[in-house]
Amino acid sequence: MSTPSRPDDRDAAWVAQARSALDESARSLDAATLSRLNQARHAALAQRKSPPRWLLPAGLVSASVLLLAVFTWHGYRPDVGSAEFPLSAKSASSSDIDLVSSDDGPEFYQDLEFYAWLDAQDADQDLGS
Amino acid sequence: MTAFTPTIPATSVSSWTGPVDAPTTQERMLDQFLKGVERRALRMAELATMNRDEALDLVQDAMFGFVRHYAAKPAQEWAPLFYRVLDSRLNDWHRRRTVRSRWLAVFTRTPEDEETDEIAQAPDLADPGPLLRLAGTEAARDIDAALSRLPLRQRQAFLLRVWEGLDVADTASAMRCSEGSVKTHLSRAMASLRRALEDHA
Repeated sequence: MSTPSRPDDRDAAWVAQARSALDESARSLDAATLSRLNQARHAALAQRKSPPRWLLPAGLVSASVLLLAVFTWHGYRPDVGSAEFPLSAKSASSSDIDLVSSDDGPEFYQDLEFYAWLDAQDADQDLGS
Repeated sequence: MTAFTPTIPATSVSSWTGPVDAPTTQERMLDQFLKGVERRALRMAELATMNRDEALDLVQDAMFGFVRHYAAKPAQEWAPLFYRVLDSRLNDWHRRRTVRSRWLAVFTRTPEDEETDEIAQAPDLADPGPLLRLAGTEAARDIDAALSRLPLRQRQAFLLRVWEGLDVADTASAMRCSEGSVKTHLSRAMASLRRALEDHA
């Protein structure tokens, strides 16, 4: 067996010793340190499951910009009277109520055009007389 | 390079966790990988900072950064990428400490002006140091001291190449420098350590 004479051979001895000492130091860490390493590892892995922190603010900003764009495009004007029914709807609603509450039967409304013509004839006769 | 070969434990997912909380295969691989490197990473950080709490913080930062940026990479690339993040954190820590030391040197009195506090300067007998704690040998203490005295880049080159077993290319990737720089740093580290440790071999 040759004695270590070359630099590489001499290095091998102390390098092996250094590596062994470092391995031993890593192996025999105390329980408190190992617990903190464990917690750190789990915390690092847990962040993968949660959404990125910037996602919520970015979403809020995007929604605000979109809302502003919609209102600007359509010329948003708050109308206080818009809660009332439009005229046509109001008329239709009134006529519907009259129709339901009337004592006349459905036949009367089916011949409504005839009665309108009859009224017109009566009016002409009144004007002629 | 010592290729990382993830060994996935054949653990069955408990029934109460349900399929939503069940860790995926990649999560288990990541967990195994981090579990495999965390102790050596802590020792590297500890040799750089000489403070266990700061070393733990740096390792945790490195884990977060690695998982956030590189978890989707192939498992074969994880080792150099993790050490790249750790190396970056160590460099940042070293830079901050250098700046802080300069400011403190400006605004604080020189040590000669201060009264010597014998109690504050006494060694902590309850904490003999990481290597002494485990081995209790003079050689281990000298190795710890010799590594701590190395410049950061030389120490990282030595630890990544010799202890972690990365090849030159992966070490260069982890240290974000050229392969030639790795060889230079390693050569200088070996020369310094040889002088300090050869007697123990």
